[in-house]
Amino acid sequence: MIETTAAPFPTIRVRPWLGPLAIASSLIASFMALVWAPTDAVQGDVYRIIYVHVPLAWLAYLAFFVVFLASLGWLWTKRPWFDALAVASAEVGVLFTGMFIVAGSIWAKPTWGVWWTWDPRLVTTAVMFMMYVGYLLLRSLSTDFSRRATRAAVIGVIAVIDIPIVHLSVLWMNSLHQLPTVLRAGGSPSLDATMGMTLGISVLAFTLLYFWFLAERLSIELDRQRRMLEARA
Amino acid sequence: MNALDRALLVAARELAAERRHPDGFVAALTFTGLLVLMESLAFGPGQARQPGVASALYWIAILFAATLVTTRSFDRELEDDAIDAVLVLSGGREALYVGKLVAITAVLAIVALAAAALSLVLLDPGVALAGHLVLVGVLGILALPPVIVLVTLLALRVRARVALVPILSFPILIPQLIACTEGAAAALSGDMSAALGWAALLAAFALVYGVLGLTIVPAAIE
Repeated sequence: MIETTAAPFPTIRVRPWLGPLAIASSLIASFMALVWAPTDAVQGDVYRIIYVHVPLAWLAYLAFFVVFLASLGWLWTKRPWFDALAVASAEVGVLFTGMFIVAGSIWAKPTWGVWWTWDPRLVTTAVMFMMYVGYLLLRSLSTDFSRRATRAAVIGVIAVIDIPIVHLSVLWMNSLHQLPTVLRAGGSPSLDATMGMTLGISVLAFTLLYFWFLAERLSIELDRQRRMLEARA
Repeated sequence: MNALDRALLVAARELAAERRHPDGFVAALTFTGLLVLMESLAFGPGQARQPGVASALYWIAILFAATLVTTRSFDRELEDDAIDAVLVLSGGREALYVGKLVAITAVLAIVALAAAALSLVLLDPGVALAGHLVLVGVLGILALPPVIVLVTLLALRVRARVALVPILSFPILIPQLIACTEGAAAALSGDMSAALGWAALLAAFALVYGVLGLTIVPAAIE
């Protein structure tokens, strides 16, 4: 027996603030990235795409890790709220991963000379993207709510294995891609302080953007669940 | 009847059904042979003989064959609703997973053996380390089905299941495919330590996904 949808999610009180906060921090981050941060000695201004590319990578990891946690939550408790959270995060994650790949490709052309190369980081990211597209496809093709949620949750749990593979692929295999700049073992970030601060603000802005999108999508999904349960009743 | 007996019973039933109506086996065998042939023609005889290319052609064909055998096996169950009877039994879900895994691995091993003979005859890549090639082959055959059976169980009674199973399982199987291809290429070209390293990785994949499947399946099937 499926429980009715849980009470409005805890972020309800911060939800109205998420949009304005995300937009304001994005404007600040854009100013810092385009004007305040210094030009890179080697790459010139091209490097500035790092302020989009790295936050998108972080969000891809975060979104799919949230899918993993929400999937465990559903398998453990069978509360529909967890399923709603999983699908909301997966959709936002697929969007950000797609943008992450596109941003990387735009950066690759002037630095490596190609839009795409069979580099381990690129390939593992594309695989991660496909895994979560498959996850959403599985959801869209299943009709029964409970079965759909359980099946999707299992894929959500298995697919998380790809996150460390994507992140560590540049260490495990020969790669054109640079080594981890911020999240690297046994060392502080290898960035100039101004660049590091700009990157930090960009990551914060994109994270707020993620939570804003997540809250809106979660709200839509909870409404959908509510209507479905009412129709069933 | 303990859990192992139940699983073996499912496997025996599956193999008996396959023996009576070997449509899945024949389809997989024909498909694999055709795929090896077409891929070889596409690459041309000179390139297709290289260890890396020959082993990649072979393992891609085996991956498709594994999907075909598994899908056909579950189609048979769904056609006469036999699967429901197994699922309602106590411990039936675990028995179904393990039993299917054993039977599909056995069928796939025969397909793989025939495809290997065909590849060696057609491509003549030259085998430097036959024992290591067999080891990689056996472990590769053990490493692929746990994921495919698990995903097929998840996609049971889902629309477009035939398309969905490869879409969901192939990205998960990429590390196994790389290990199979690199391991076989190393054995063909005589790199003993690389072949053993990839074989160990395949053994780990088979174990991890086998245990993961057994753990998840009871919760995953409703």
